[in-house]
Amino acid sequence: MKTTLQRASIAALVFTLGCNSTPAPATNPPVTTPPVDAGAVVTRPPEVTPTPVTEIPGHEVLAQDRAPKEPPRLMPAETLIRSYISLFGGLSPQALQVRLRGATSDNLFDTWGDYLSALGVPDYAVDIPRAPQTNALMLAAFERIGVALCERAVLNDLRGAVATNDRVLFRFELPAGGRALTDEEFGARFDVLHRRILGYPAALAPESRIPRFRALYQGAVTRHADAGARSFNGPEAGWASVCEGLVRHPEFHLY
Amino acid sequence: MRWIHAMSAVALLGAVTAAARPADASPTREQYRLFRALSIDLQGRIPLPDEIAAFERPGFDLDAWIDQHLQGAAYAERLRRVYLDALRLEVGSMFNFVSNPLVLRRVRVIDPDGNPSYVYFRRAQRRDRVESDLDFCLSPEETGITVAANGTLTGTAHAIDRAAWNQRTVEVRPWWLYRDYRSASPSQRIGAGDGSAMTLSPVAGLLMDADNTTPTTTVRVCREEALTADRGAVYLSGRLTALPRTSPYPGGRVTAPPTDSAYARAHAGQMVSCTSGTGVSLSDDCGCGVGLERCMPGNSLGNDPAAFNLPDNVPLGADQPLDSRAQTQGDWSRFWWAQEAVHFLDDLFVRDRDVRGLLTDRGTMVNGATAQFYRGFAGSTCCGNGTQFDYAEPAALFDPARVPTDLTPHDLATWRRVDDRGPQAAGLLTTPIFLAKYGTRRARAHIVYNAFLCRQFVAENLALTPSTEPNLMVRPGCAACHAALEPLSAYFTRVTESGWTFLPAAAFPALNPACATRGGNSPNGGCTSFYDPAFGSSTQGMLRGAYGSLAHADEGPPGLARAIVDAPEFASCVVKNVSESFLGRSLTAEDQPLQESLVTSLRSGGFRMRSMVRTLLRADAYRAANNLASATWREGATP
Repeated sequence: MKTTLQRASIAALVFTLGCNSTPAPATNPPVTTPPVDAGAVVTRPPEVTPTPVTEIPGHEVLAQDRAPKEPPRLMPAETLIRSYISLFGGLSPQALQVRLRGATSDNLFDTWGDYLSALGVPDYAVDIPRAPQTNALMLAAFERIGVALCERAVLNDLRGAVATNDRVLFRFELPAGGRALTDEEFGARFDVLHRRILGYPAALAPESRIPRFRALYQGAVTRHADAGARSFNGPEAGWASVCEGLVRHPEFHLY
Repeated sequence: MRWIHAMSAVALLGAVTAAARPADASPTREQYRLFRALSIDLQGRIPLPDEIAAFERPGFDLDAWIDQHLQGAAYAERLRRVYLDALRLEVGSMFNFVSNPLVLRRVRVIDPDGNPSYVYFRRAQRRDRVESDLDFCLSPEETGITVAANGTLTGTAHAIDRAAWNQRTVEVRPWWLYRDYRSASPSQRIGAGDGSAMTLSPVAGLLMDADNTTPTTTVRVCREEALTADRGAVYLSGRLTALPRTSPYPGGRVTAPPTDSAYARAHAGQMVSCTSGTGVSLSDDCGCGVGLERCMPGNSLGNDPAAFNLPDNVPLGADQPLDSRAQTQGDWSRFWWAQEAVHFLDDLFVRDRDVRGLLTDRGTMVNGATAQFYRGFAGSTCCGNGTQFDYAEPAALFDPARVPTDLTPHDLATWRRVDDRGPQAAGLLTTPIFLAKYGTRRARAHIVYNAFLCRQFVAENLALTPSTEPNLMVRPGCAACHAALEPLSAYFTRVTESGWTFLPAAAFPALNPACATRGGNSPNGGCTSFYDPAFGSSTQGMLRGAYGSLAHADEGPPGLARAIVDAPEFASCVVKNVSESFLGRSLTAEDQPLQESLVTSLRSGGFRMRSMVRTLLRADAYRAANNLASATWREGATP
């Protein structure tokens, strides 16, 4: 998206170059289209031959950014799966699959095999290459696995009677009696998750991150205030939402 | 505006390059990001909390951390992915590995006591009874059932006469049930597998008797299959011509009894190897060996019967499978062929061997399954029509005598290096998975050209015209690619297509007068299996694939390996493959200085990857992580 300043600069540059060029003849010659002929060599008219930028007066010594312009790398699918496993306490893939599927029939997670293709795992046997970039199916798989991971972690860590240090993901305590968190209390707990999932302190993230996740948390808490026993209560839903937001964040999948 | 980007980028790069931070300074966001990237690339996962805590401590030495993690299995896996992504060394069921000399299928019969019982047999087995030669050892008249070649059973089974039962079949404690199957009285029956590929786990059908209630402790197998000799005498049945179809075949068999081949008649009584398909088809002395270790079990009469539980998906390694299910005996071999390549690459990278060994190393890694394959299975596809050239003893790419004898099929988690497979071995090029994946000489040459020289064959812009020219190096429209491809593919002349049988020059001279064309006609069928009539003459035949270069044909895969690693593009291609994988993008002209420095590092380090990867991980290009999208305003810059 060009800014007004950029547009103005470009316009000024075009205007300046236009002033230096040879005036156009008053009457343009008729345009004739050369016949399209196999093997014919079509040459560019001399007036549009590219000019190296260094030959433009005033540009001889300007620095140029010649660094490759590419987006961040996509985490290899194997690394992604291993990272999911490490987030859930380092279980074996099959043991984790059992945990993610859970005892209920909520279809939160199917099998690893159902997601491998969507995650971009190459299948050498049939010459399906590694997916080098994200696509809609991959994002949906990220979402699905992230939801399963976070919701099972909430059940394990926050609903189960697990000591803080033994928890797989939510290694912090919630206020007794369901008291609402202050911004400071939220920030400290959010930082635990942020470091674990994205690998750096939340304080170093863009300024809007903590407020936006705070709002996400609070919205989930509010919507689950009257939840029944079969659903997450407010804080559980709030932390599940925060976890899901982080585990499907572009900073998690890209590096 | 662009110079603002440029100046910011320079500033960013400068900041990132300063990896070592002051002792009292907290890491910056970019430093955290770099540490996470290094963890992803060198540990195969995001960093754990205690690792982040260690990174945050004053005095953390990132370079030392990198050096420490350039040693481990995760680092090797990271590099292995580069080459497996390029070579894709797995094959599916499209590569049909069903070798009749190997596969023990089973028939459900009624034993003399009237109980159902399984009897294992193999279709290629020679027997001295005309009723069952190359067929099931109990004839239809003895069992009441007929076993068709396609695996269907017809008839009504009746109890088998006890004398025939005892005479034709024996009980064996096989390798797939007993860990100590080589002992005189095997007793260590295996337990249920743990679902990984690290423990031998026969399918449920192999663990229960035919009554479906009794756990199997022994298997009943045809007497000939239970023979254990390594060599057997060529058997002569005395049948010279096939019986006419109208005749009732002896014993009620549905197929004509086999006749003696010209080779059998010429070599009657001579000893042949029982590990070759030819040996099995020639000698009734050749069985499946001790504990049936030269054969694969199957739970049915099907073409490719189920044998073992194996994972379908092992992106994290065979020791961490994502699933497990009953798979066929062919899947067993295909799975372990692929694992050999995995362990070959891991060993090379973990031990920081010369990367040229990818192509030139005469060694490889074997475990119990691949040791069993090389000892007893690989030769089963040899030698077919080669007997016309007196070729009945395989000259293996991996000399079976060099396979560790103490590795049993149960040693699946034990991988051991064999330093020298034999004179024809050449890195990955002579592994079964490579030869199966790339079935033709040209496919093999092409992938090597592409993956190790980073070059492609690109067709010229030319209209194809009809041509009868068999030489693709000169045929218009083909020559642009094939002038280079045919000489390369000629290196694989002596390795059969879709197989690993080696064709030695002594038996198969590249130019063979015995296979000359006769009066403009092709030579006999045995010749055309190996010699190409299109390139033969009235004085000699030419080995298939050799026309690109007779010299290359005789040099074989080791010659190709030498030619590729000696090519000037090899080092830059290694650098290109690895750095593009780590950077997550293609190298551009702007990366030329980086590429040159990495090539220098690779060459000066004796073609060992570790020093080159270390250089790459410390380069600004890696540390900046491509986070230079043109729409991104650099930190500190104001649009």
